[in-house]
Amino acid sequence: MSSKPIISVKNINKKFPVSGRKNDIFAVKNVSVDILQGEVVVVIGPSGAGKSTFLRCLNGLEVFDSGEIIIDGIPLNHHHRNLLEIRKEVGMVFQSFNLFPHMTVRKNISLAIRRVRKLSVSECENIMTDLLQKVGIEDKVDSLPSQLSGGQQQRVAIARALAMNPKVMLFDEATSALDPEMISEVLDVMKNLAQEGMTMVVVTHEMGFAREVASRILFMDNGEIVEDREGESFFINPVEDRTKAFLSKIL
Amino acid sequence: MISVRKDFVFDTLKYLFFMGILAFLLVIGSSNMNYNWQWYRVPGYIIARSADGSLKPGLLLSGLWITIKISVVSLVLAFIIGMVTALLRLSSSIAAKVIARVYLELIRNTPLLIQLFVIYFVLAPVFNISPFNSAVITLSMFEGAYASEIIRSGINAISKGQWESAYSLGLSTIDTYVFIILPQTIKQVLPPLTNQAVSLIKDSALVSTIAIYDLTMAGQAIVSRTFLTFEIWFTVALMYLIMTISISAFVHYLEKRNNYVQ
Repeated sequence: MSSKPIISVKNINKKFPVSGRKNDIFAVKNVSVDILQGEVVVVIGPSGAGKSTFLRCLNGLEVFDSGEIIIDGIPLNHHHRNLLEIRKEVGMVFQSFNLFPHMTVRKNISLAIRRVRKLSVSECENIMTDLLQKVGIEDKVDSLPSQLSGGQQQRVAIARALAMNPKVMLFDEATSALDPEMISEVLDVMKNLAQEGMTMVVVTHEMGFAREVASRILFMDNGEIVEDREGESFFINPVEDRTKAFLSKIL
Repeated sequence: MISVRKDFVFDTLKYLFFMGILAFLLVIGSSNMNYNWQWYRVPGYIIARSADGSLKPGLLLSGLWITIKISVVSLVLAFIIGMVTALLRLSSSIAAKVIARVYLELIRNTPLLIQLFVIYFVLAPVFNISPFNSAVITLSMFEGAYASEIIRSGINAISKGQWESAYSLGLSTIDTYVFIILPQTIKQVLPPLTNQAVSLIKDSALVSTIAIYDLTMAGQAIVSRTFLTFEIWFTVALMYLIMTISISAFVHYLEKRNNYVQ
């Protein structure tokens, strides 16, 4: 682990304007956090806490109002080129998979590496073979997303993001839309990824995963980071009252 | 199984019964009309014999050819205009939005026939546009406006998640449109666009008003010369029907071939 943060977030704010109200609601309020290379940061908190919004700010899917985000030395700002550079380095996995329904697994994975990384067909094939093996769906390469189960689709989505060889992976409730028996197959892939040293920011409701894999846990409520602790100690002796109240409800 | 067979027999009987009544009415009606049917004269207007005895396309067939040419060129242009207009309206540039909107409202809220006259009688002499090109410009502008609304709603119907996953992979906006959004849009909007294509073919009959020898004009010319009113107009209608049904069938085939579950 290097000591230089790969993700540096300073005082970001994001407001949602609400009609008929004088004060806007903060979706993300004064959030600052540094994430080091190789860290697995799990973001938890009640729904509406701003976890997903915060995560989506990290690759520019949401625009924040003020503050500063620097990823791998590139400031995330209105310069479109910076945005594209950052998105090359930051992979994202969504709750609803968001595979391209008109493309086979092969095309889903190879499109971005062909168009953005400009790799040749044979290079793509090599990357794809490795990745599909890693996520355990070697035999589905010519299937359409609609022919796969939810768990398989999400594993393809992970492979698609990994194909870009990102430095950071963001997971936005990656297992929330899955049937219970498929959650573990996706979590296993994520655990392996964590063990390989991938820097990950994970929004999840899977406390078991958080406990087992997280090197750090951010607890968010009302758009703020309430508590930022090492993985295990967060669960054993939380400091803040709001954290205690949340944990008592879910554990 | 027995009940299915019974239903089938009953349905067939019902069908035959109603068709019988229809045929009966048709025969009674046409004999009461005292109309002298001369169907034998029609084929000569489809395929004619020239002076030296060789075969050549008759008036109706040459008219049909003109209609097909106008329709095909206009269809392609209408699709391009529709796509460009839809993208302009969805772009973030205010100027582009305004241009697209003005074009759309102008075309949508005036009669096609008037547009045709404006192009043909006002603009064509100034810019030296041929009648054929006037027809193509008018039809493609007109149908393009409707196509753009269909395409725009199709693009809007693609889920936000598709954009987000494309962007999160670092794809540019153009790549996202070309590889992700438009292929899915086209599949969505193919049925309503087919309706529009059928409308275009039917609307192309209006170009007979600006001295173009299309199918309708050919029919008119023959009728005024021979008074074969019923035979010729039935034949013309049948020719339009064949064109529009072929388009529907072709699109149906495309839809079946590109079937994936979303």
